[in-house]
Amino acid sequence: MSRRSKASAATRFVENWPAESARLARDGLYDPAFEHDACGVGLVAAIDGKPRREVVVAGVAALKAVWHRGAVDADGKTGDGAGIHVEIPQDFFKEHVARTGHAVDDGRIAVGMVFLPKTDLAAQETCRSIVETEILAFGYTIYGWRQVPVDTGVIGEKANVARPEIEQIMIANHPGVDDDAFELDLYIIRRKIEARVLAAHVTDFYFCSLSCRSIIYKGMFLAEQLSAFYPDLLDDRFVSSFAIYHQRYSTNTFPAWRLAQPFRMLAHNGEINTLRGNVNWMKCHEPRMVSGRFREHGEDVKPIVQAGSSDSAALDAVFEVMVRAGRSAPLVKTLLIPEAWSKSRSMPAAHRALYSYCNTVMEPWDGPAAIAATDGRWVIAGMDRNGLRPMRYAITGDGLLVVGSETGMVPLDDTRIVAKGRVGPGEIIGVDLAAGRLHGDREIKDALAAEHPYGEWIEKIANLADLTAAGEAPPDFTDAALRHRQRAAGYTLEDLELILQPMVENAKEATGSMGDDTPLAVLSRGYRGLHHFFRQQFSQVTNPPIDSLREQRVMSLNTRLGNLTNVLDEDASQTDILLLESPVLTNAEFAAMRASMGDAAVEIDITFAIDEDADALHRAVTRIRREAEDAVRRGNMHLILSDRGVGPARVAVPAILAAGAVHSHLVRHDLRTYTSINLRGAECLDVHYFAVLIGVGATTINPYLALDTIADRHARGLYPGLSFDDCAGRYKRAVDQGLLKVMSKMGIAVISSYRGGCNFEAIGLSRSLVADVFPGTPSRISGIGYAGIERKVRDLHAEAMADEVAVLPVGGFYRYRHRGEVHAFAPDLIHTLQAAVGTDSYRLFRSYADGARALPPVNLRDLLDFRPLGDEVPEDEVDSITQIRRRFLSGSMSLGALSAEAHETLAIAMNRMGAMSCSGEGGEDPERYRPRPNGDNANSVVKQIASARFGVTAEYLNHCREIEIKIAQGAKPGEGGQLPGFKVTAEIARLRHATEGGTLISPPPHHDIYSIEDLAQLIYDLKQINPDCRVSVKLVAQAGVGTVAVGVAKAKADVILISAHCGGTGASPQSSIKYAGAPWEMGLAEANQLLTLNRLRHRVRLRVDGGIRTGRDVVIAAMLGAEEFGIGTTSLVAMGCILVRQCHSNTCPVGICTQDERLRAKFEGSAEKVVNLFSFLAEDVRDILARLGARSLDEIVGRSDLLTQVSRGGAYLDDLDLNPLLVQADAGDAPRHCIVEGRNEVPDTLDARMIEDTRAALAEGEKMQLAYNVRNTQRAIGARLSSMITRRFGMRGLQPGHITVRLRGSAGQSLGAFAVQGLKLEVFGDANDYVGKGLSGGIVVVRPTVSSPLVSNENVIIGNTVLYGATSGRLFAAGRAGERFAVRNSGAEAVVEGCGANGCEYMTGGTIVILGPVGGNFGAGMTGGMAFVYDPESQFGPRVNEDSVVYQRLASSHWEAVLLGLVVEHAHETGSRFAERLLSEWDVAAGRFWQICPQEMLTRLEHPLSDQDAAAEA
Amino acid sequence: MAEKLLRFVTVSRHAPDKRPAAARRRDFDEISAGFDAAGAALQAARCSQCGVPYCQVHCPLHNNIPDWLKLTAEGRLEEGYAMAAATNTFPEICGRICPQDRLCEGNCVIEKGFGGVTIGAVENFLVETAFAEGWVRPIKPVVERRQSVGIVGAGPAGLAAADRLRRKGYRVTVHDRYDRVGGLLVYGIPNFKLDKAVVARRADLLRAGGIDFVLDFALGRDADLATLRERHDALLIATGVYKARALKAPGAGLAGVVPAMTYLTASNRQGLGDAVPEIASGALDADGKRVVVIGGGDTAMDCVRTAVRQGARAVTCLYRRDRANMPGSQREVAHAIEEGVVFEWLAAPEALLGDDATRAVRAIRMRLGPPGPDGRQEPQPIAGSSFELPCDLAIEALGFDPEDLPTLFGAPDLGVTGWGTLAVDPRTLATTLDGVFAAGDIVRGASLVVWAIRDGRLAADGIDAYLRARESATETPAMAEAI
Repeated sequence: MSRRSKASAATRFVENWPAESARLARDGLYDPAFEHDACGVGLVAAIDGKPRREVVVAGVAALKAVWHRGAVDADGKTGDGAGIHVEIPQDFFKEHVARTGHAVDDGRIAVGMVFLPKTDLAAQETCRSIVETEILAFGYTIYGWRQVPVDTGVIGEKANVARPEIEQIMIANHPGVDDDAFELDLYIIRRKIEARVLAAHVTDFYFCSLSCRSIIYKGMFLAEQLSAFYPDLLDDRFVSSFAIYHQRYSTNTFPAWRLAQPFRMLAHNGEINTLRGNVNWMKCHEPRMVSGRFREHGEDVKPIVQAGSSDSAALDAVFEVMVRAGRSAPLVKTLLIPEAWSKSRSMPAAHRALYSYCNTVMEPWDGPAAIAATDGRWVIAGMDRNGLRPMRYAITGDGLLVVGSETGMVPLDDTRIVAKGRVGPGEIIGVDLAAGRLHGDREIKDALAAEHPYGEWIEKIANLADLTAAGEAPPDFTDAALRHRQRAAGYTLEDLELILQPMVENAKEATGSMGDDTPLAVLSRGYRGLHHFFRQQFSQVTNPPIDSLREQRVMSLNTRLGNLTNVLDEDASQTDILLLESPVLTNAEFAAMRASMGDAAVEIDITFAIDEDADALHRAVTRIRREAEDAVRRGNMHLILSDRGVGPARVAVPAILAAGAVHSHLVRHDLRTYTSINLRGAECLDVHYFAVLIGVGATTINPYLALDTIADRHARGLYPGLSFDDCAGRYKRAVDQGLLKVMSKMGIAVISSYRGGCNFEAIGLSRSLVADVFPGTPSRISGIGYAGIERKVRDLHAEAMADEVAVLPVGGFYRYRHRGEVHAFAPDLIHTLQAAVGTDSYRLFRSYADGARALPPVNLRDLLDFRPLGDEVPEDEVDSITQIRRRFLSGSMSLGALSAEAHETLAIAMNRMGAMSCSGEGGEDPERYRPRPNGDNANSVVKQIASARFGVTAEYLNHCREIEIKIAQGAKPGEGGQLPGFKVTAEIARLRHATEGGTLISPPPHHDIYSIEDLAQLIYDLKQINPDCRVSVKLVAQAGVGTVAVGVAKAKADVILISAHCGGTGASPQSSIKYAGAPWEMGLAEANQLLTLNRLRHRVRLRVDGGIRTGRDVVIAAMLGAEEFGIGTTSLVAMGCILVRQCHSNTCPVGICTQDERLRAKFEGSAEKVVNLFSFLAEDVRDILARLGARSLDEIVGRSDLLTQVSRGGAYLDDLDLNPLLVQADAGDAPRHCIVEGRNEVPDTLDARMIEDTRAALAEGEKMQLAYNVRNTQRAIGARLSSMITRRFGMRGLQPGHITVRLRGSAGQSLGAFAVQGLKLEVFGDANDYVGKGLSGGIVVVRPTVSSPLVSNENVIIGNTVLYGATSGRLFAAGRAGERFAVRNSGAEAVVEGCGANGCEYMTGGTIVILGPVGGNFGAGMTGGMAFVYDPESQFGPRVNEDSVVYQRLASSHWEAVLLGLVVEHAHETGSRFAERLLSEWDVAAGRFWQICPQEMLTRLEHPLSDQDAAAEA
Repeated sequence: MAEKLLRFVTVSRHAPDKRPAAARRRDFDEISAGFDAAGAALQAARCSQCGVPYCQVHCPLHNNIPDWLKLTAEGRLEEGYAMAAATNTFPEICGRICPQDRLCEGNCVIEKGFGGVTIGAVENFLVETAFAEGWVRPIKPVVERRQSVGIVGAGPAGLAAADRLRRKGYRVTVHDRYDRVGGLLVYGIPNFKLDKAVVARRADLLRAGGIDFVLDFALGRDADLATLRERHDALLIATGVYKARALKAPGAGLAGVVPAMTYLTASNRQGLGDAVPEIASGALDADGKRVVVIGGGDTAMDCVRTAVRQGARAVTCLYRRDRANMPGSQREVAHAIEEGVVFEWLAAPEALLGDDATRAVRAIRMRLGPPGPDGRQEPQPIAGSSFELPCDLAIEALGFDPEDLPTLFGAPDLGVTGWGTLAVDPRTLATTLDGVFAAGDIVRGASLVVWAIRDGRLAADGIDAYLRARESATETPAMAEAI
């Protein structure tokens, strides 16, 4: 392609993008609200507050060292954005003003950095005139405009096409007000200008900054091009006391200049998970927001958050208004992004009071967040409550503070640095530029806590627990009355037995297994509660879910009841509230709350009369809204919505509808903050219902009928040994735990930020209903509306009230029942398919496939049919069965879920066909890496890497063609898992590097993927450890998955797998199986549309799985964009699975999903049967292709125009519109399928050089020592070399330390990832995150340089998430580590001198020695291995999570010897003076160690924890 | 694990103890005592609680088997009974006489590796407990309706419909040509399989629930169909099929050759204490005789085992296919063998030999040929393999055909199928005559009791829909009196 045509393609892309993306947003599945960005962030500050040139230079230099945290467009030049925020160099601008002939005043010049429309000159003039008018109106004068010099040669073509006109307006402080007043005026002026420009319908106008203090230079170039593009920054007069810088990574390829960061006050790395809730609540707060500081301009600053803002921009806007209203940056950070305080055992009381107060003021902005911010006086760096982003800092002897996502970004001589640290979870560090002082976290919080008597203020907070004295009263409804109400609420026996019973018995939600094969609620013929139409959203890739069990300390269900006041105030009036520990209320608690509300509450009946004619439901909702509004206007502070009035003549409005209707109505009328919305609903029984209620705005919920049902069952003796109070309490606990889980899968920790956020996707709800009642909830295919819902509730009610009601309906939603819901795996189809594959009969397969087609609709695709491409073609011209079969996978099921027999059979069968099987997350026996003597190959060609990293070693990763990163799985996206000890056989323990019988926990997130750039890093690591393999990323369909897919493609993934909600599982909470995720039809279509829109589709393969059963499914998936197809459950059926759905019970009667020897003996599957299945599927596909006139699958990939909707669902629906799925994005000149041969390559790292230099050693097996200087941009050092070693010598073929690499400087992320035995990496300096990730036998040593003045045990030397998933090897680091040290370590030994929060989390093996303080939640979920912590001051107690470990002082000579050995080695390897000192006084030191041991291991230890026990045993 | 269910891996299948064959041979009492509570709970706890319960799939009534097994295992018997009774009008009967080995238990997922759950015995236990505890109560409709339904035939189909209609508040009158309620249940099935007291108990409950019975009433003899249609708002014909298929072979007319139903009815009447002259005369008494039963269905099994109990010298069952291909329950075959019955598989009668009375059966060996149009392998005689069996009493158990109802009922418009069964709409079971429905064997041909129950329930729903439609058309108030 010629340069010219390339340029025109770029131009076309940029010019077409706005229209094309708008079209996809309107007609397709794109929603700009789902765009994400993430990045590298940091600041440099002169602690003395005096501007220096070095600060700017260092800031610019830092950006050059984080390019790898951004993404680069194919042109190699267009970046996702970068920028810097510095002080205005007054001299520089004054000189400029002087040059233009103006006289310059004494006061500060304010400068506005403005993006103007580039080509539309009229619009440009409009903007200029608005800007000037508003400035003049405030009494300031204008020096003039300056066209900012730029070098367009350094930016990419796309960036250049999209480039705005960049100008600066310079303003004189003519009235001579003080700087603070000037700055405040400029804020109000800017807000007014923004509003007027918006009103003038000019879209391309943007103020980067408008200030008399500071200025922001940013744009769509690569980070390292900042100063080349803006030569201003090279001017020596550009001096500053601070610089905030940012490198962006976005989930689209459109170069939007205004989205670059920093924003006006902050730069943010991470993602605000609660954005929807926060923005909604900000709207609620706005009417009451008043600040005297804004004088008569109070309304001009609203709306605070502009429509369409990104999460970071929205956070910035709120941050700014809070600052402008008079709070300091540290306080605003504390208020918006508080520390996890409510469960902390080590927090000072004054701090607790401060946070308790903050909690009454407003909802936190929750999610991963490293921020660098300034309010003009303070420059701060802050971290979210979980510490989910890295933030390292260094302080130099000459007063420079350097903070950034990585250490080493600003190259500083080691001898200059006097301290190195990190910003921990919830922490702030900052410089008070006015005072010229640096403050640590503790100092800042102490000062803030002392500003007001918070301790007194919070005494007014009343606690519900203190008001609830009486026990539970007898139930209101029993016997027939109860039964009628149960039926009217849609309860089934299944609900009571399968869902409710375990909640009371175990105080936990019920577990189930396998996927959901029932119809989407909108397609079901029966009654489905309104909650069935809401799908839980979850985090994937761009932010991490949280582990609500192991990290419960950061979670909170605290619910405040009472008026929300002016969030800009700071006084005691804000604490007049009732505090509930949970929004779920038992009947006794409800009574107590009701009593405390007194006359302030009003009850609203949410039922309607049965004899009302049509439209009764809609009218009832209108009435409820009116009554609610009237009540609030009358001054009622609490609304109680109740459906207890249900009876023969009255029908309930679904509680979710009522709650959403009232919440949305009150928000619209600016009344929401004046009242609480309390629900008493019969239908709330399972966790999901509660989650939806709170998500649509309910404050509290009293599930009175579920409780009366429990009372009834209690009276029948179903809970032996429990009082009814116990039962109610357990049920509530189960719901609470469930709510935490639902929130945590979104990455949300605090329920007040979850409430009203509508963090769901509505599938099958009418668009207009959603817009009216659940605004903000994505609903892309419309569906049931008022009329349909009314009909369904009326039918249910009629049935419930009819005749004699002996028993509840049996159900059939979770398990097949004859009279219940349709299941796609219908009993006769299962048998027909098994007969077909057993007898190799394609005729029988056809009758299976025809039977599947004849079922009532289950999936959206059942409403679609094909349009032929052309005339039928002869079958022999179509892709062969062999070609088609190669596109198939057998799903990714782990050994552990499957029996070894079933797992191997699948692999053998897929290999025979040249198709793909995936190992799943349980590791794989190395014996399977080589074919068997009979030629069968049981090696899975796809190896999975999941959050637990079980069995992930260098060897494992080198025996595959592809590595699949499982981000989420359809049955429980956003959740981790647990393999209970009884399933951990000796075999499984060996493969997973664990102990037989010990529980194995999979964390919800990958602890090395909290953000999109982290995923890019993991892909990079994997492409280093296996230089040939492709990398695939498994995502689960949900609204927004397309945006994520774009980010993933930009991260250099080769394959993106879109899994449906209906995917299988060996064990999941029932509500997750049923209510999380979306169908692949939607997710795949969205991903395909967005990848195409962003011109990335041809760079990446799309794969789909979840519920694919026939050739028809495959062809539809292909037309929606898929090229490869995973078929999991159906392949199990081919091996004999009959959907018993007891995988979680270890009692699979056909030996497929069990580890029990007796049951495994019953396995009757065979590779032949599996081959038959896939051959039939391929033949089925061929038949269809021939009929449609297509000769190959590639021909129809992405041809959604060949699909047409042939049914619009039930007649009672408002509409059911699948056209958004069928929209085709403009592919430009690119094909609609992947054309990459091999893989998307990543840049080389130091290993390329190392391999070159060790060629001799590798060839001859000689020992070698290498030495290099290293930068943080050189990542995954040692991985590629380890691959070479593994392939040539095996993972343990070389002696330890055979090749020693000495590095000097700051090593990039993933130092020593998957390093194998024989490789030793020694770093003199420090290292970033993920050191020793997946360490497979190598040795890593990190130590300060010999000349460094740092005291090793007081400074941070390595980053977060070190030794994640390590299986063997050693690490010695002379300094402290970051958060999550040794997370999921299963065999490595390590010594460090302190670590951050969540140390040794989920560890299952290995020995960890920590010679210094640890952060909170140490040893959470640790089920194996051993840890030692040096704690001379006895501070360890409150920091350990005692749920799974015990700890004690050293009491065993055996273990003391183990510890001593490691400390000696540490001292020897690192030369740590601190370690040497401990050794010199070992007698004393030994007594100061804690030994931490998993409870589960106590009985399995070869050497007991104390000599006494050892003696007793002997 | 504290899990109460899914215990099939550790608990093996155990059916309730049967009385020893020697003891069984001497009386007509039921052959097993049934479970005690602990035994039932333990066996029920073997259930795998399948995601796709094939037991239910293959139960004609689609009973919620896993659900009441679970309730039984947990000791929640009253709920378990309510659950079982919700889908099955006569669970105590199905528990006893269903061929579970071909239905629920035969399709139990764990049947192959571990032995299926003893579903029938648990069902029986559950219901008997319910009766003993007084949980089984007469019907008490919530509303009384004015419309009345006439039912012809007091067998399982008619009674199932009667029960269901009465529950909905209709007036129900059941007619039967016999003197007792139960049809086949009382006269066809021997006592050792289904104690007559069980049927009588159910009949009493139905009476107590307000169902009227008109016995010794034969439609066609005592009234014609038109008369009955005038009397009731809807009619259900559930007469069963009683025309025995006769043996087409030389000697079929000899004395000592009797149809199975005649034989069984006589025996059952005797058991009920009626005076039965044919038994007194010895004509239908197998005592001391060499008995040959021809046929391989459940009726044949009932005959051979009755003959054993009557004191037959020898009992032989002659069947033209092999054991695997017989239509009757394997369980019953096993019982019969235990009790001393000799089976001649793959043998068909050629002629009955004798002068006035039968003295022997000449039979010929068969082999199974290729499958016929019904998919079953066709038996073919093996030339020259004839043999003789001594025989004093030959019982023909070859199946039943429908009587010619249009003629019999004086209703020529009543549509029939090619087989002579009544033609019905399969969804509503409505016949060609307005307001006349049909259910049971007279629709589907001779079949299992459980199918008759299912059809009866289905027909009741059809009738209910029909009557409601009529009621709203005429706008007569439905409820005569509310209770």
